[in-house]
Amino acid sequence: MTPPAKDVLQGTLTLLVLRSLAREPMHGFGIAEHIENVSRDVLRVEEGSLYPALHRMAQDGWISAEWRPTENKRRARYYTLTAKGRKQLAVEEQKWSQLTTAVRDVLRFT
Amino acid sequence: MSLYDRFRNLWRKENLEQELDEELLAHVEMRARKNVAAGMDPAAARREALIRFGSRASAKEDARSADLLGLLESIGQDVRYAARMLRFNPGFAALAILTLAVAIGANTAIFSVVNAVLIRQLPYPDAARLAIIWSGFGNANRAPASTFELFQIRQRTKEFDQIGGIWVTNGLLPGEGDPEQVKTAVVTSNFLPLLCSRPRFGRFFSAEDQTPNAPFAIVISHGVWARRFGSNPAIVGKSVRFGPRSAVVIGILPENFRLIFPGDSSIPPNVDVFYSTAIDASNPKGPGFLRLVGHLRPGSNFARAQAEADSVAAQISALRANLGASVLRLRVISLQADDVGKIRGTLLVLFAGVGFVLIIGCANVANLLLARATKRTRETTVRAALGASRGRLARQLLTENILLGLLSGAVALAMAWAVVRAILAARPASLLNFGEAGIDWRVLAFTFAASVLTAIIFGLAPIIAASRIDLVQTLKDSGRPAQKTTRRWTGVLVSAEVALGFSLLLGTGLLMRSFINVLHVDPGFRAEGVFTFQLPPPRYDMLHELTRKLAAIPGVQSVAAVSHLPLDEDIANWYDYYWKEGAPADQQSTVMADHRSILPGYFATVGATLLSGRDFTESDDPAHEHVVIIDDILAQQLWPGGDAIGQRLNVSDSPAGVYQFQRDAAVVVGVVRHIQCHSLTAFVRPQIYIPFQLAPRPMAIVMRTSGALTGLEAAARKEVSAVNRNLPVSRVAALSEYVSRARSESRFASLLAISLSGVALVLACVGIYGVLSCSVAQRTSEIGVRMALGATRSDVTNMVLAEGLTFVVVGLLGGIALSLLLTPALSSLLFGVKPGNPANYAVIAILVLLVGALASCLPARRAMSVDPLSALRCE
Repeated sequence: MTPPAKDVLQGTLTLLVLRSLAREPMHGFGIAEHIENVSRDVLRVEEGSLYPALHRMAQDGWISAEWRPTENKRRARYYTLTAKGRKQLAVEEQKWSQLTTAVRDVLRFT
Repeated sequence: MSLYDRFRNLWRKENLEQELDEELLAHVEMRARKNVAAGMDPAAARREALIRFGSRASAKEDARSADLLGLLESIGQDVRYAARMLRFNPGFAALAILTLAVAIGANTAIFSVVNAVLIRQLPYPDAARLAIIWSGFGNANRAPASTFELFQIRQRTKEFDQIGGIWVTNGLLPGEGDPEQVKTAVVTSNFLPLLCSRPRFGRFFSAEDQTPNAPFAIVISHGVWARRFGSNPAIVGKSVRFGPRSAVVIGILPENFRLIFPGDSSIPPNVDVFYSTAIDASNPKGPGFLRLVGHLRPGSNFARAQAEADSVAAQISALRANLGASVLRLRVISLQADDVGKIRGTLLVLFAGVGFVLIIGCANVANLLLARATKRTRETTVRAALGASRGRLARQLLTENILLGLLSGAVALAMAWAVVRAILAARPASLLNFGEAGIDWRVLAFTFAASVLTAIIFGLAPIIAASRIDLVQTLKDSGRPAQKTTRRWTGVLVSAEVALGFSLLLGTGLLMRSFINVLHVDPGFRAEGVFTFQLPPPRYDMLHELTRKLAAIPGVQSVAAVSHLPLDEDIANWYDYYWKEGAPADQQSTVMADHRSILPGYFATVGATLLSGRDFTESDDPAHEHVVIIDDILAQQLWPGGDAIGQRLNVSDSPAGVYQFQRDAAVVVGVVRHIQCHSLTAFVRPQIYIPFQLAPRPMAIVMRTSGALTGLEAAARKEVSAVNRNLPVSRVAALSEYVSRARSESRFASLLAISLSGVALVLACVGIYGVLSCSVAQRTSEIGVRMALGATRSDVTNMVLAEGLTFVVVGLLGGIALSLLLTPALSSLLFGVKPGNPANYAVIAILVLLVGALASCLPARRAMSVDPLSALRCE
């Protein structure tokens, strides 16, 4: 069984998905797995919010989708980061680092 | 996703659905496979995967709402649900739809009139560039121009590329058959092309028609062409009989051609015969009779045309300064704007009034919805608890409301159609020109917009109330609604209804008072029992013989004739300057009066009062000293405080023949009380009366009879043809018809106002009653507790009454403030009553209080009859 894990912070899902797709095209399950593995199971992606998020991002033109066979000979929808998505990723990353810096500063202040 | 993609998605609906399913399924499978790999048995692995995934359906729904398809589908769902809700509450649906349909229908009806009168262009080519040019001198502002003036304006203008003139008079119907008097018009040759792009057949006038040897040419209306010439196109170019001479028909007007001119221009919509006139520029002091219509040059505008007209008027005045003529003013007004000038105020006030009714209707339906929302709180709460978002719930409510609005709009259209018929039947003379108030695309668009907008507005309060629902609290309360918000909303709505209803009633009260005042105006004559008809200019001996014969008809008390019946605005008025004989030139153009040609006995016949002096006699002819009778206002203006009888006056008469005006000296032999000649409510000009023998004209016969007027027409026609077979009788009418036409605008306004405020009052009552009933129903257990704790029945009654009357009083105060703000806009429609009249306020306030109390009484009685035991047991 998976150990108790935290749901992905509200608002960071977009960042995490974009970052994951920056490496290579992935399907939804792959994205969820990737985030959980890399975060050593600290972050857990709710499927219920992942797919709506993916569709929204596709709508905004940040990612594109296509059907491809998986390694298990099944069909799955693979998402690819677009040029627009890459720009958005930079924006989201910058926002995130501003936020963490701000939180760190507050925590260090004694 | 682009809009295109969304539309494409609509198209491949099935495909998309499948793709979504497949994607989510693949996910679950991959998760299950992983679980197996981690050592779980396949069934458990799959179950865990599904549980982790959560509701597939809800993920799908969320993912899908991104698509237009999804949106449409869920709207379709909403509409179906909404229709079901309405079907299951037929009482509510019927009441709401009826209320809204009445309110929207009234708006649609008035809008269709506003559309026809104020929005739609006149049916003329390039109507937006047409101007009417009025002459003004002395205290007359909307006078006709003389041919000299038209000539001079044409010579100088740079802003107009065409200026035409028209004068409408009575004439004979062309062709063979019984003599018939019709409206004929003298026009300049460029006049008709300004208002009509081309004739049905033939041509319009040209300059050649004015050359000395050209045949006398006429253009006839479609009506005459059909009635007299059997719609035969071959009549064009033929010579026909036209009164004493013959004329060549050169053109036939299109069927829908009408002259749409302001009411005070003496240009009726339907003129049957047109003939052209040369412009005689030789007489600088010639009489003014032409109404001028100008067409603005491209690139010009009304302001520039007016500026030019001011300077042209000054130049013309300078030209004839040494002739003792008064200073000329010219006023350029857009034909469209001038036409509606008089009725515009009435229409806008009515439009505002129906707007009020619409708001009241909205408030009522909002209240119904609020009441229903409280009953539906549990449903809403459960849906919210099951995961419906606030937005989704609001959208559901909005869909229901818009459905309600559209259904009402459809019913409203049918109602409006009927109401427009009724309005057209009751319309005043000033609206007569606008026959085509009907339902066109603008009206449809208006109704649609009104329905949807109304739906959104009346739906707002319930939606806001619904979105404030506290889930936990409501569920714990076993579905008893959180009443506070709702109650506050209903209070505001009912008070608003009362306020608007009060303002409408107040306005109506003012209009009714005005109408009653108009009914009681003494016009200076007694119209009852007076029968009239018109004749072309007769010879005196013939007229004399005719009156003698008519007087012999049984029941007829007296017979006389006048050139211009009081309150008859359909024939061209004659007025001129009058001065004391021997007055210096600079004092000759100060007093203006309408002149009327009469036979002896006219005053007695129409019931006017001869204040002093004598009536005319048969020997007041050109051979004897010229005499006139003036009215008391003219006497007062010329000889203030003195006696006018025996004084000498310079007058305008025409003893040489019809319309051959000349200046003449005459002695005042009588003073008669002023007769309201143009309007019942406004003084326009004093009058001067001249014996027929000194000023022959087309005449109207007046006959006073002791009996009924029916049957008189046949008898009169018989006598007329006995005197002269070729004398046409026209415009047979009771004198009282002219009076009632003069009242029509006031009657129209107050009739519509009464209907509007009646609807408003009923709606407001239903509102108060509904809200209080609902409040009593909701508070049954509270009332039970109060009674169990010792409150008497009258305490309970008073409590409910007090609640109702609080709404009413708050509304009243708002209404008084609103009325003080708005009623001054009515003043142009009022007669003999001030908008701020405190008595009016008091009466209407008491009326509203009484009606409010009445509407509160029934719910109060119901509260009184609450049985404390059963009320408590309900808990």
